[in-house]
Amino acid sequence: MEANLPMKIIKSTLSILLLLFCTIGPIYASLRYEASLTKDFTADIVARTPEKGNFSPRHIKVQVGQKVKLRVRNVDTVMHGFAIPALGIDAGELKAGKNKILEFTPTKPGIYDFYCTTWCSEFHLQMRGILEVE
Amino acid sequence: MSNENNNNQTDNDQPCCDQAGCNQSGSRQKLLGIIPLDWRFDLASIPLIRWILKQRWFPLCFIFMNMFLFMLILMSGVIGGFSSGNYSFGIMMVWILWWVVLMMILVPVFSRTWCMVCPLPSFGEWLQRIKIFGVGKKVGGLNLKWPKKLSNMWIMNILFLMTTYFSGFFTVRPLATFFMLGSLIVLGIVFMMIFEKRTFCLYVCPVSGFQGLYSNLGMSEIRVKDPKICEKHKKKTCVTGNKNGYGCPWMLEPHSFKKNTYCGMCLECFKSCPFDNMAFNLRPPATDLLVDEKRGLDEAWKCFIMLAIAVMFYVAMMGPWGTIKNWVRGETFIGWFKFISLHTFFALVVIPGIFGIFAWLSKVVSGEKDIRLKKVFVNLSYSLVPMGLAAWIAFSFGFLLPNGSYLLHIFSDPFARGWDLFGTAGIPWTPFGTVWLVPLQFFTLLGGYLVSVDYGYKLCLQTFADTATAKRGFIPLLVLLTLVTIAFGWLYGG
Ligand code: SF4
Ligand SMILES: [Cu+2]
Repeated sequence: MEANLPMKIIKSTLSILLLLFCTIGPIYASLRYEASLTKDFTADIVARTPEKGNFSPRHIKVQVGQKVKLRVRNVDTVMHGFAIPALGIDAGELKAGKNKILEFTPTKPGIYDFYCTTWCSEFHLQMRGILEVE
Repeated sequence: MSNENNNNQTDNDQPCCDQAGCNQSGSRQKLLGIIPLDWRFDLASIPLIRWILKQRWFPLCFIFMNMFLFMLILMSGVIGGFSSGNYSFGIMMVWILWWVVLMMILVPVFSRTWCMVCPLPSFGEWLQRIKIFGVGKKVGGLNLKWPKKLSNMWIMNILFLMTTYFSGFFTVRPLATFFMLGSLIVLGIVFMMIFEKRTFCLYVCPVSGFQGLYSNLGMSEIRVKDPKICEKHKKKTCVTGNKNGYGCPWMLEPHSFKKNTYCGMCLECFKSCPFDNMAFNLRPPATDLLVDEKRGLDEAWKCFIMLAIAVMFYVAMMGPWGTIKNWVRGETFIGWFKFISLHTFFALVVIPGIFGIFAWLSKVVSGEKDIRLKKVFVNLSYSLVPMGLAAWIAFSFGFLLPNGSYLLHIFSDPFARGWDLFGTAGIPWTPFGTVWLVPLQFFTLLGGYLVSVDYGYKLCLQTFADTATAKRGFIPLLVLLTLVTIAFGWLYGG
């Protein structure tokens, strides 16, 4: 007795769907979720020691009077920090693997430096970038 | 009753005592003098369980579930917090959760059930079958036979040892874990497309080898219930397959195999057997160590390599020796090279050498002239299995208890991007039960030691001609097992 054709088709479709759900599914879902969380971010700054890639991006442009939302992600094995002293912004210590979200509204145009605030490597002093307010 | 079936005294060339449950006096052998070795309970005698085991969606549903998790693990290697092991989903899931569950529960209790639910070879297997769900006759791929010469553990031994060369990277670099799992999947597909059935799992996969060896200790087994029914069943559908199930993908003969080593517990034989003659037995630990089938130097070296790695991991991850740690982490190439040479030499030469000396002593002390050293060496090496697994379990406690709480964090924030899926992302690192660590490790080692000694003696009875020579031959082995246990106790506890 052969299994009947419609049953076969249902089974193959189901298994293909399951396969997609378990492979593409998690990828799609997490990317979507991440996108929904980050959609109003001005920038997502990844922090690494200078020899491993420094802050990236290192140059951020924002508009004066508009709200800025930054996420700083320490993907390194050492502790970093993040501060824009001229704007009075300090994220404090960022342990390895941690991240922080900073929100503020710049009121004066200008070029502001941001720095790493913990001694993270011998090139620590080079760990900096620029926030440009237009 | 499904019990006495693994005691078939057929086709042994040895005079006595090849099977668990028999010794010279003919009475039942017991583990530590308490649990009879031939005790069995067939889980599948519970109708619901047998029904589940016979469904095609089982264990497929678990394979899918694991596939889902493994995709997340792979992804975290690419988009997760790169260098910070503690906040990497992949690293925590693989090296804390998976490894610990494998070593502490799956292998010792359920033998090779990991292979039952392992998603790594599935892509290849489905391509090979041109099917995911049902049973078909067509085969994709070349379906070649694997060479006889390589049908043993040597490739897996070498690959597993080589994997440990990178152990300093796995726990700190998510990408290393990504490449390891990724290459297993790719290799799996390639092998499935070239060679027949589960050749990849049987002879290549590095995770397979130690599971094979240590599952001899596992407290579960898939065996035939009543060999007489198999005798009458000329078609042997468990080997050839039928419309309900594939012929054994692990190329065993389910109707007669006696040892867990190469059974991946895929459950096809439950489906293909028309007489419901397969059993999923619970049993006392380690009874397979006494089964003299396919024993060889490859498995002996597997024992040695596993012991060596248990030592090396401890030294590299928890020991107080900073220089060695730096070597393992590969801070300089020379240092790393020193580490891999030392490690390889220790695993392949030093430990086997020490064991060899004691095996030779055992032969000499036993007074038996015409026994081959190789036989003593191979047979007695199986007594290292319980102790080796105990050392691994003890070692696993050492990172589960201090680091287990990270798991709660990574479930909620798998890619270290500030998610909080289950509200547990904020839970701080809380080492758990660390005061119990050393006592737990101590009792685990002690347990392993007792089982090893018990089986060591039984293996001697099996190896030497009579009880008197066996007793004498056992003395050097007892000394060795004691020394090794003390060494592990010293390493882990003091
Ligand atoms: S078919 Fe049977 S003997 Fe073969 S691996 Fe599967 S369960 Fe084990
Ligand atoms: Cu820094």
